[in-house]
Amino acid sequence: MSQKTLIGASALAGAVAMAISGATFLASTDSATAATEKCYGVAMAGKNDCAAGPGTTCAGTSKVDFQGNAWKSVEAGTCTTMSLEGGRMGSLEPLDRDLPA
Amino acid sequence: MMRSAPDPQTGGTARFPSLPLPPRAGAGLKPEHVDQILADTQRIGFLEVHAENYMGDGGAPHRALTAIRREFPLSVHGVGLSIGSESGIDHAHLERLARVVERYEPAMVSEHLAWSSHDAGYFNDLLPVPYNAETLARVVAHVGRIQDRLKRHILIENPSTYVAFEETTMSEADFIREIATRSGCGLLLDVNNVFVSATNHGWKPLQYLRRFPLELVEEIHLAGHAEDTDDEGDVLLIDAHDRPVADAVWKLYEIVISQTGALPTLIEWDNDVPDWPVLRREARLADAILDRLGPASLLGSRHAAE
Amino acid sequence: MPPSEPARRSAQSEFSAALINPDLPPPVGVSGPRGKGARKRFAVYRNTVTVTRIDALADIFPAVQRLVGADFFRGMARIYLAQEPPVSAVLFEYGQGLAAFLERFEPVSELPYLPDVSRLERAWLDAFHAADADPLAPAALGAVPAEDLGDLTFTPHPAARMVRSRTAAVSIFSASREQRPLETIRPLEPEDGLITRPAHEVQVRLLPPGAADFFKALMTGATLAEAATLALGRQPGFDLPAAISAMLEAGIFSACSLSPAKTEHPQ
Repeated sequence: MSQKTLIGASALAGAVAMAISGATFLASTDSATAATEKCYGVAMAGKNDCAAGPGTTCAGTSKVDFQGNAWKSVEAGTCTTMSLEGGRMGSLEPLDRDLPA
Repeated sequence: MMRSAPDPQTGGTARFPSLPLPPRAGAGLKPEHVDQILADTQRIGFLEVHAENYMGDGGAPHRALTAIRREFPLSVHGVGLSIGSESGIDHAHLERLARVVERYEPAMVSEHLAWSSHDAGYFNDLLPVPYNAETLARVVAHVGRIQDRLKRHILIENPSTYVAFEETTMSEADFIREIATRSGCGLLLDVNNVFVSATNHGWKPLQYLRRFPLELVEEIHLAGHAEDTDDEGDVLLIDAHDRPVADAVWKLYEIVISQTGALPTLIEWDNDVPDWPVLRREARLADAILDRLGPASLLGSRHAAE
Repeated sequence: MPPSEPARRSAQSEFSAALINPDLPPPVGVSGPRGKGARKRFAVYRNTVTVTRIDALADIFPAVQRLVGADFFRGMARIYLAQEPPVSAVLFEYGQGLAAFLERFEPVSELPYLPDVSRLERAWLDAFHAADADPLAPAALGAVPAEDLGDLTFTPHPAARMVRSRTAAVSIFSASREQRPLETIRPLEPEDGLITRPAHEVQVRLLPPGAADFFKALMTGATLAEAATLALGRQPGFDLPAAISAMLEAGIFSACSLSPAKTEHPQ
């Protein structure tokens, strides 16, 4: 890239000066840091543990959780509340096939 | 380079205080309890974490565990090393465990007599092994490799199991004794697992404990279990860690402590985790038993209070 | 090697196969005590494996789960995990391939934003566990002489991620995670999302037009002058001071330095 096509040094310097002069932004960043400094209770997603799951009558023993008509459960999702352009509603297709071999 | 000042938490020079596991009750650490644990005036004896949850590079989990480690004795309990695996110990996973151990300098490191990984991936379950010479040689070799890498002695925990193997030729207690004798590892006695497995296999828990090398036990686990039924309609207990410790397990624990003396005792509660005061109440029940029966034990306390 | 002799499957191979295929009987040699049946006993292991794997995905992808509903999600997760079982024993690393799976999973083809929502969720957790580093301090940038600014290059913060989407994945992601209504969102509006961890918490930002080009260029090693020129060329209304301000506030970078090539004054 040739030096001429680049943005000028003074324009860049002006932009950086404007960016870092935002006193309100600096203050808000500092206070956000302070507020979370003492708090450790952040939940962890996807934890490992050494407990056994539920007993003998759950998902592991049936071929598929849902077969054929089980997709009426789609109503439970929130995606149906958004309309896609062209008047189509976001929806899910029924699936009545087994787990792939 | 133009950088901000290094974060003191990650500076790498901060050493932790040397805090051995006391012969008191501890709790499995849950992130949602950390603030309360640090603020609690009734201090818990120690905390234990599952190593895998701290195998990330940084962030909130390490920040919380660093704060805990500065103030409490820590035990690191692995759940994913798959010591009973036919396909060997995963080198990368052992290295990640070593990194957690180097980072936190825990008082204790333990793993399970189980397998959880195979060609089909990681099962996230502690799967059983047959008790025979072939499995014994494999497990002893794996424990040796782990201890060599970590440059420390580890504890191996007795499992909860639901099925038996035709290939089994030894009792579980004898098998575990042999692992310890040959590898030099210590033992973690999960009293709930003893009760669950004994019920599921029709053993007598006290006979199991009589054969078990109690003199090699360095830590105890207690947890709640769920009830189901087997194909014949008989009771099948599940190691669910989702409720208080059962009365029968407390009774068994009293018998163990009356033999061994006071030992570090962990309350595990992994599913439907309660508020901290509920978990702490379980820990206090264990502390009361340790106070009452520990000093009068047959073997005497091998972990004298500081 | 003679092709006619199939290797004897190991005991744990048999056990593994039966664990994930409920049509198979419990493995040979596995029983209850005194010859009791093993079907329900073995089912304890089957359930733990399947349920905890699905639970891990549900934990990692709460917005996706809310969008499609828990029953659909769990069913879909079973198909996904049959195709792509976790390899690592570290569960929080699971689901790296979910976005690609959703792109080819027919039943969600009417939800074109779903793969990018899942990319944002996966990026969120990667940022959560990323190595610690302090974000570049505004004062450090302010201390650079004006004539050197154009030649500055930046070190990405370990937690910084970007997800560029042809859909409104960022708005859908945040509304879904915060349990806000989705009705007002136009799902096919393109959006760029920025994931960072400036202090102790992961933050997700919706980027203004042009900013993603600017940040992407800087994250891949362009100088400040090159990145600004690129962004201005693609988006004439690009607000450079606002982008630099956002870059510092969000903590996209942990350090800056003078690009070695530029300091040698090439002709």
